[in-house]
Amino acid sequence: MAEDEYLVEMRGIVKRFPNVLANDNANFTLKKGEVHALLGENGAGKTTLMNVLYGLYRPDAGEIKVYGKRVEIRSPRDAIRLGIGMVHQQFKLIPVHTVAENIILGIREAGIILNTGKINQELSRIIESYGWRISPESRVWQLSAGEKQQVELLKALYRKARILILDEPTSVLTPQEATVLFQTLRKMAAEGMGVVLITHKLDEVMAVSDRVTVMRQGRTVATKRTSETNIEELVNLMIGRPLIKIKPTRQIPEENHILEVSNLVVLNDKGLEAVRKVSFKLYRGEILGVAGVSGNGQQELLEAIAGLRKVVSGKVLLDSVDITNRHPSEIIDLGVGFIPAEALRYSAPEMTVAENLILKAYRTKMFSKNILVDFKNVEKTAQELVAKFNIVTPSTRNKAGNLSGGNIQRLVLARELWTLPNLRVLLALYPTRGLDIASTENIHKYLVEKSQQGASVLLVSEELDELMELSDRIMVMYRGEIVGILSRSQYDVETIGLMMTGVKKLEVQA
Amino acid sequence: MALRLERRLEISRKLSASISAFFIILAIIAASLVFELLGVSSVETLSKIYYVFTTPATLLQAVLRGLPMGFAALGLCLAFKMNFWNIGADGQIYMGMMAATGIVLMHAYYGLIPEPLVLPAMVAASFIAGGVYCALPAFLKARLGVNEILPTLMLNYVAMRFVDFLIYGPWRDPKGFGFPVSIVFPDYARLDSFLGHSAYVGFPGAIAVAAVLYGLLQKTTLGFEMRVMGQNIEAARYAGIRLGRTLLTGSLVAGGLAGIGGLVIVSGIIGRLRPGASPGYGYTAIIIAFLSGLNPWLALPASVFFGGLLVAGDVIQSTLNLPFAAVQIFQATIFLMIILGEFFKRYRVKVVR
Repeated sequence: MAEDEYLVEMRGIVKRFPNVLANDNANFTLKKGEVHALLGENGAGKTTLMNVLYGLYRPDAGEIKVYGKRVEIRSPRDAIRLGIGMVHQQFKLIPVHTVAENIILGIREAGIILNTGKINQELSRIIESYGWRISPESRVWQLSAGEKQQVELLKALYRKARILILDEPTSVLTPQEATVLFQTLRKMAAEGMGVVLITHKLDEVMAVSDRVTVMRQGRTVATKRTSETNIEELVNLMIGRPLIKIKPTRQIPEENHILEVSNLVVLNDKGLEAVRKVSFKLYRGEILGVAGVSGNGQQELLEAIAGLRKVVSGKVLLDSVDITNRHPSEIIDLGVGFIPAEALRYSAPEMTVAENLILKAYRTKMFSKNILVDFKNVEKTAQELVAKFNIVTPSTRNKAGNLSGGNIQRLVLARELWTLPNLRVLLALYPTRGLDIASTENIHKYLVEKSQQGASVLLVSEELDELMELSDRIMVMYRGEIVGILSRSQYDVETIGLMMTGVKKLEVQA
Repeated sequence: MALRLERRLEISRKLSASISAFFIILAIIAASLVFELLGVSSVETLSKIYYVFTTPATLLQAVLRGLPMGFAALGLCLAFKMNFWNIGADGQIYMGMMAATGIVLMHAYYGLIPEPLVLPAMVAASFIAGGVYCALPAFLKARLGVNEILPTLMLNYVAMRFVDFLIYGPWRDPKGFGFPVSIVFPDYARLDSFLGHSAYVGFPGAIAVAAVLYGLLQKTTLGFEMRVMGQNIEAARYAGIRLGRTLLTGSLVAGGLAGIGGLVIVSGIIGRLRPGASPGYGYTAIIIAFLSGLNPWLALPASVFFGGLLVAGDVIQSTLNLPFAAVQIFQATIFLMIILGEFFKRYRVKVVR
């Protein structure tokens, strides 16, 4: 039957990197007309496997069949010739060029003299058939993330790809854009293409895929029909054990506050007001969630508290001590930790894991003697933290830049939670963004643990589930202002969702 | 069949050393071709270069000629580690020469400093002069965010011309038949008056500096701050490092070492101040710092090597009657090959079939 026709068969794929076996005897098949989810945690080898198929890596062992014929794919050009397209996590587009220019870039068949009219016509036809709203003539920099992704898809369609690989496509999209993408993928499958969806998000797998292959530690552990499996089973396959749900059973925080922010005004990088007269109090031992679509001043607020961004007016009091516009080192010494969203942006990639772990604490008594850094103790502590936080690295002397995203995030967490002597307030900015289930679970566990030990957490997140699960109160931000603060009994997805759009009807005094 | 470049994640010391050796051999072959094209025997020329590095007397000379570049390069190792792109080592060398000469003149003309203190005062003054001259653009960077590359580069010319002014004007030797030179330094102001050769004082000094610098960078909290700042300035700010203070301290030391290089020139090599006393030592120091991978220990042998090339250049020029340009071509070939070698240390070539 045509439906069972294999577009791709990969058998026994092995790919070694220095110190890592990225693919260990991995098997993968793609049928005509299906959306096939490739599921696994960060570092499980999903992207590596697909990069092998796309010719970016050459496997050390194993065979690949495309349309039933054994092939050697040496470069992306070979892959494209075979009708394989790939949309990477980072878009490979030139912002100043038009959509059409980006698409014909690198297509030799387009010839030397471009028939722009014909190309645009063809592109418009495809765009229309998918119900998109981009134009071949618009410049790429004008497009939103979702539209840029459509350009990437359009590129594959224009090249008549029959096999399409998408690497974590929803990581840059809003929920609405993701829905549109899934409709597109279903339509592509219906037209006979085979679509591979690399993801670590289970709801996406359930929502859009026909079959799912789960990878763990470089191996493909199972391939299932999506209709015949469920989330629990997939989690089990992915992380090798069931998920532990955190149910914070916590007493109401003491009524005295540790951090008080009043009438804070902060500018963003463009010099516009990003935080407008924000006032709130953070109680001892409390987790205060900050909800809101990202870009509504959350980042600037946290950076200003940490001393990384200038406060224009207003005050930040830490335990009644004025820390407004104090140097970051003083604020750190007073016990304020900061987990940034992009861990790599705040680490020294060419320095060792151990050195990155003491990035903030190198000057404390614990790790220094007079003018010298006590590297013996640094090494000892680093060993302990690497073990405690499951940081996967060949040694503590490995360069931090060589770690995978999830591991760097763990490193940052270890640094913020364990190396600072008197952590009192922890600012967490999208701490779990882009992380897989097990890493997220870990971070949640540590945040709750720290708050139970008396530290207060200001948790900024876009995931409402995360906020509602962990927070004692949720504060909603919109356009730099606080729309309202809800206490645990008032949580309700719809209310919070409405408030995220600036509706103040349920204003609650904290 | 096609060739593809792949980035190496890590490289063993053995492989790194053998790549360097291979490209040095390649450089010698390429240089031989150049010599043959110029109509001189390459064997003869190379044997003269070989002779420079194997004869104690010329090797000592190579060490000495390498010292100004060596000190400057040590400073640059520190500056570049901080991501402070100091192109101004030459200017800092000139300031060091000026300060050292100034101390000598203060003693000789006015008797302001007791004789045994002249040399220590010269060391201190040249270090401070070079350091402050380097800290100036660092201050601009820290305070106003001015990129350091152009200021440091342009300050080179300021320093060079200022020294010219002094030498053609107030500092000209009254008994020098009108030549633009300072007075000849007296013995107590010269490095070779102690152990018979300036290199006997200078080279151990350079080793000591390298050791201190290495310790500073790798073992101290200040060095830790400098390295973090050099890697990622945002991370440094986030870690609570006082950027301006760290940058100023580092640039003072970096420029100060170049200043010491200047001291070696006037007090150890020429014995007086004259215009153009640094023929671009500060620029070669940049190359040395890079070739040694910003490792102070490696900067020393590298500077001896480049010092040797200068000596060899003199020998070739005088015995084979080649123009100075030929010597420069020879040196440039070596530079190029070494840089090419560095490239292959970072990337591997894969044959893809």
